[in-house]
Amino acid sequence: MINLKQRIYDELNLKKQADELGVKVWQAPSFLFIVMGFIIVVAMTAVYVVSINYDYPEIVVISESLVVVLLFTIGSFIIRTVEEVAKANKMKTEFVSIASHQLKTPISEMKWQIELLLIKFSTGLSVKQTEIVNEIAHSSEKMGRLVNDLLDVARIDQGQLALAKEEINFCDLVDDSVQSQKIFAKARNIDLATSCNVDKLMVLVDKRRLSVVLDNLISNAIKYIDGNGKVEVVVENADGFAQVCVRDDGVGIPKNEQDNIAKKFFRSNNSIKNRTDGTGLGLYIAKNIVEQSGGKLWFKSIENVGSEFYFSIPLVDNEKNNLNFK
Amino acid sequence: MAKLLIIEDDLVLQKALSEYLTSEGFEVECAEDGEIGAKLALTGKPDLILLDIVLPKKDGYAVLAEVRADENSKNIPIVLLTNLGSISDVEKALELGATTYLVKADYKLEEVTAKVKELLHIK
Repeated sequence: MINLKQRIYDELNLKKQADELGVKVWQAPSFLFIVMGFIIVVAMTAVYVVSINYDYPEIVVISESLVVVLLFTIGSFIIRTVEEVAKANKMKTEFVSIASHQLKTPISEMKWQIELLLIKFSTGLSVKQTEIVNEIAHSSEKMGRLVNDLLDVARIDQGQLALAKEEINFCDLVDDSVQSQKIFAKARNIDLATSCNVDKLMVLVDKRRLSVVLDNLISNAIKYIDGNGKVEVVVENADGFAQVCVRDDGVGIPKNEQDNIAKKFFRSNNSIKNRTDGTGLGLYIAKNIVEQSGGKLWFKSIENVGSEFYFSIPLVDNEKNNLNFK
Repeated sequence: MAKLLIIEDDLVLQKALSEYLTSEGFEVECAEDGEIGAKLALTGKPDLILLDIVLPKKDGYAVLAEVRADENSKNIPIVLLTNLGSISDVEKALELGATTYLVKADYKLEEVTAKVKELLHIK
């Protein structure tokens, strides 16, 4: 008896069911069943109203049964499909998450060993040997970033991306990011400049993750310039928000692809796609991190003219004044 | 000289971390499972503990709870070393009294050392 009660309760606990399948509440099977029931009742009433004009009760009974059987079959089929797709999706996300966790251990081992070698035990290594170890370090960094990106995507999809928020000066964060990309820009003959008309914009963010967002936007701007060019990073106080704009005169994004740009694994089919490496995860992650920090990310782009990527984060004071902010 | 306790079952990571910290002038003690780790934490009087979460015999959360429950060791700073790092893992760790946490694959040894020094107020 208790079991039955518990089962009924579980079936009606839409929120729990939706969380378990990783879908929205209105996509939960029980909710869809309730909707189906409602549709069937409406259809039965309609059939009754129409067939009442005929004087044959058999016709009413037959049409009612037909309507119920038909709607129930179609409805159950749809609900089962939705449930299966949701389950498969969830399994896929879990797989990515588990696989990335497993990969992280050997990556940490490699990174720490290389660091130990280079910093504490490098005496006796020849210039050539040091150069090779540095190359290995570089590759392991790259692999680490890739695994991190995959794991972040899995966490975003599970609603489990943890942000360690602290109060920092947004201007310093942008400066650090620009500095770290200077070598990369120089190597590609790109002029990387910043302009900031304020010197203090306090925000509550996860410093590491937000610098990943900035690095992504700036390195994208540099990567997608064909030949020489200019990247400009502008920081300003926009109505209680710290706002940054990364502007380039690169290849731009074709208009018909602009809606897809922040989707998972999407890479624009622009003229230099094959000459630049990328996974199509950077902007998806960036958008989610910014939004989870209470901000917004958007862009403007014209093909063969350039792109402007913006994002804004609420200033700390602004956040305190706004009680509805979450 | 500050005394550190590293509780980490991955011996490659444990060795790299302990050698780096030793060369930075720390006295380092290591444990490779939660049971030995908890014992050393309660009896060895470390100044700071670096603690992995996924451990054989007793996991990091259990060690954390045990250390925090003991009068002599409840104020020792504990840095969680993990490759987990989802919201629920982090929340659970901080709730149980971890001082801070580091994701191993994202941190360099140099950064781990800087964190340890910061927590022990060593310049």
